[in-house]
Amino acid sequence: MSVQPAMPKSWRMDTKPHKFCPGCGHGLVLKALGMAIDDLGIQDRAVFGCDIGCSLLSWDFFNVDSIQTHHGRTTPVITGLKRANPNLIGIAYMGDGGGYAIGSQHLVNAAARNEHITVILVNNTQYGMTGGQMAPTTLPGQKTETTPYGRDPQKTGYPTQGPEMVAAITREGAYVARGTIANLNQLKGYIKKALQNQMEGNGFSFVEVLSACPTNWRTNAEETWKMVEQEMPKYFKVGEIKVPGKEGRENG
Amino acid sequence: MAEKPIEGEKRVFMTGNEVVAWAALAAKAEIMYGYPITPQNEIMHYWTRTAPRFGREFLQTEDELSAGFTTAGGVMAGRKAFTATAGPGNTLMQEPMSMAEAMRLPVVVVVQQRGGPSTATVIYSQQEVTMTTMGGNGEGLRIVYSTATHQELFDYTIKAFNTAWKYRFPTFVLGDGYQAKMRESLTIYDPEARGIELIPAEPYLGRPGVPGVDRPPAQYRNTYNVEEELYEVLQGYFQDYEKMAPEVAEYEAFDTADADLVVVSHGVVSRAAKGAVKELRAAGYKVGYFRPITLRPLPVKELRELGNRTKQFLVAESANGQLARLLKEAAYGCPVEMLPMFKPGVGITTEEVVARVKEILG
Amino acid sequence: MEVSDNISSRIVEAYIGEYASGKSEVAVNRALQLARQGRRVNLVDLDIVEPCYTLRPIKKRLLDLGVDVLAWETRETMGLGEAGNILRPGNRWALRRSGDVILDIGYGVEGARTLHLLEGADKDPDLKVLAVINIARPLTGSVSDIVDYVRGLGRVDGLVNNSHLGDETTVEIIQEGAAVVAEAARRLGLPVVATAALAELAREIGPVDAAGNPVRPITRFMPQTFW
Repeated sequence: MSVQPAMPKSWRMDTKPHKFCPGCGHGLVLKALGMAIDDLGIQDRAVFGCDIGCSLLSWDFFNVDSIQTHHGRTTPVITGLKRANPNLIGIAYMGDGGGYAIGSQHLVNAAARNEHITVILVNNTQYGMTGGQMAPTTLPGQKTETTPYGRDPQKTGYPTQGPEMVAAITREGAYVARGTIANLNQLKGYIKKALQNQMEGNGFSFVEVLSACPTNWRTNAEETWKMVEQEMPKYFKVGEIKVPGKEGRENG
Repeated sequence: MAEKPIEGEKRVFMTGNEVVAWAALAAKAEIMYGYPITPQNEIMHYWTRTAPRFGREFLQTEDELSAGFTTAGGVMAGRKAFTATAGPGNTLMQEPMSMAEAMRLPVVVVVQQRGGPSTATVIYSQQEVTMTTMGGNGEGLRIVYSTATHQELFDYTIKAFNTAWKYRFPTFVLGDGYQAKMRESLTIYDPEARGIELIPAEPYLGRPGVPGVDRPPAQYRNTYNVEEELYEVLQGYFQDYEKMAPEVAEYEAFDTADADLVVVSHGVVSRAAKGAVKELRAAGYKVGYFRPITLRPLPVKELRELGNRTKQFLVAESANGQLARLLKEAAYGCPVEMLPMFKPGVGITTEEVVARVKEILG
Repeated sequence: MEVSDNISSRIVEAYIGEYASGKSEVAVNRALQLARQGRRVNLVDLDIVEPCYTLRPIKKRLLDLGVDVLAWETRETMGLGEAGNILRPGNRWALRRSGDVILDIGYGVEGARTLHLLEGADKDPDLKVLAVINIARPLTGSVSDIVDYVRGLGRVDGLVNNSHLGDETTVEIIQEGAAVVAEAARRLGLPVVATAALAELAREIGPVDAAGNPVRPITRFMPQTFW
């Protein structure tokens, strides 16, 4: 008899094992989200939106009403939903392409309007599902299918600093953080605070998560964690960036 | 440092997406703007791998709206620019393409059709015909080539640049996911070595000289004040389009003279239609084959001639009547009966066409 | 006539190479060749740029021919390539399976680094990484192109000449490929493990090609998949 680790109550069991690649960070992020939904008791009120890309594989992940949208359009769909029924807890789940490239205008505007939704953005530095093309978060020198010789920051800029941007354009009431799959307890805490921020009616909440894609990075376990724990934090600082009531503070 | 991508000609084995990349290189396209979407990603993958060797540029944009508008900017700067997309990306392209239509910009777009609507499948369809020929809030002032083989993907991608820069209408090469990923041999060549003249690009903006001093300022717009103004501009465009149409329209046909029924199809489905018509003729059926190669402008004269003397058309397409709709408009008033063979998002085989024709003719 | 492989040692081969070089066809046929010798063979799909397009459609047919195929079933997947699954979890552990292991590694900018996704690849004593070369592919058309290309792949233990033009392949192009690949291999200090050729053409060429490489007859399976 094997011992099964405890899974969040809000997870849907009949769609497990899930469809993510072995070593993918999505499973961990969705576990943190599931635990947060359990703790806050919002399984009946939450609506989960996912984007196009690997996040799409989570469309039937939870026992939570869900909608798979178009690429980059999860934020506006969840925004529309929340505006029409403010009792719902709107969760917009997407990747770095869906959030910082095609979805960037929606992210910026939802943040600027202080929409009462929670955006969770999984950052694995490239476009996974379509075969590993460059993303706004690709690291300098990183090889991808559209930067076969390595990303040249002179030509394509530096990795997007999403949470910092959102923090800069939101006012008091927004919650902004960057977590990592390397610290699930911390991540769960950030996601919980982000959801609570919505529940309390304060404003926009945004959590970016440093995640792994060993498949497209072509890394073994050791190299994968090195990337998440050492390389990525060189460009992406982990911590709380904006907390309501703590105006003027930088990192948590 | 920049060498010629193809010297003379050679026989190679490639996937369709790669063919597009090599054809663009051969046509001296200088810059590609693009965004990832299956099934056209390998056009970008191969362009980014080969571009540095041949001194060409690339930008991966934030989305297809941007890819379309950056391509518009590229041609206005006087460079042969192109982009490629599919499905939902093509839907987004309609905004920049309406601007290109309004401003007569020689943008080149390669579309690799996938299932629709929305995300649907990433694989194949012919369901982007309506959108590619008549999309945006315009009047369809576009040129669309529908290819069926890798050789054509190569030939017509090169031709698309020439057509675009000569007539100044946004020009599309309409392929599909099967063509994009299929492997075939073809002959790639240096067009100039074959005597094909490459129409040069020229800038709209940024020509030498001080505007207002050495030359008039180059100022372009797509906005008008009153209805009459718009009307005049469009009348001018329609005249240009009508003048261009007989020079650009292309088709392929055989065995139509005495045919009771003509199978009409386009793109990759025409391969199945061709095989079917040959098989049916050998079995004694009086059937013919017609394939428009340009979906915009359609070869209207030939279609109407055929529509006036043939009893039935069988329109075979991997969409729910998108080609049929264009044909019906072109052949309006002709007595021909148009019968459907519509399989949206699904491939059509020679056997299936044969079966359908036998079902109709008995 | 088929040359029997050493009965006792385990055969582990990873086929890598350019997009559309013929890796899948070579891998499938190699697996079948071994199965015909009564060996237990596992054929593994490790294409992660274009997952599910190669082995998945012919899985059942290969199973009937005695090859164990590690690839997605259509009904297990969702969408393909934009809304679907990339790496099948079991494939990571392919080297732990008993019998021979033939791996079809898709294309991708990282080349042989895909093997990092295979648990135990760095320690497997039998693993051979073989680059499949088709000189009719523009990026590997000349000796110098092939040398540059193979050098950029990472770990490569040998080359396979799979020069062809699809339906238009002739003995000439195969033999020309053999000579070009042999010269490239010499410069790289690598062996040419075999020349792959369609069965009818292989019969014409004989057991060894013009450059002295063993000839592996191929039956085409890929046209039954998408391509």
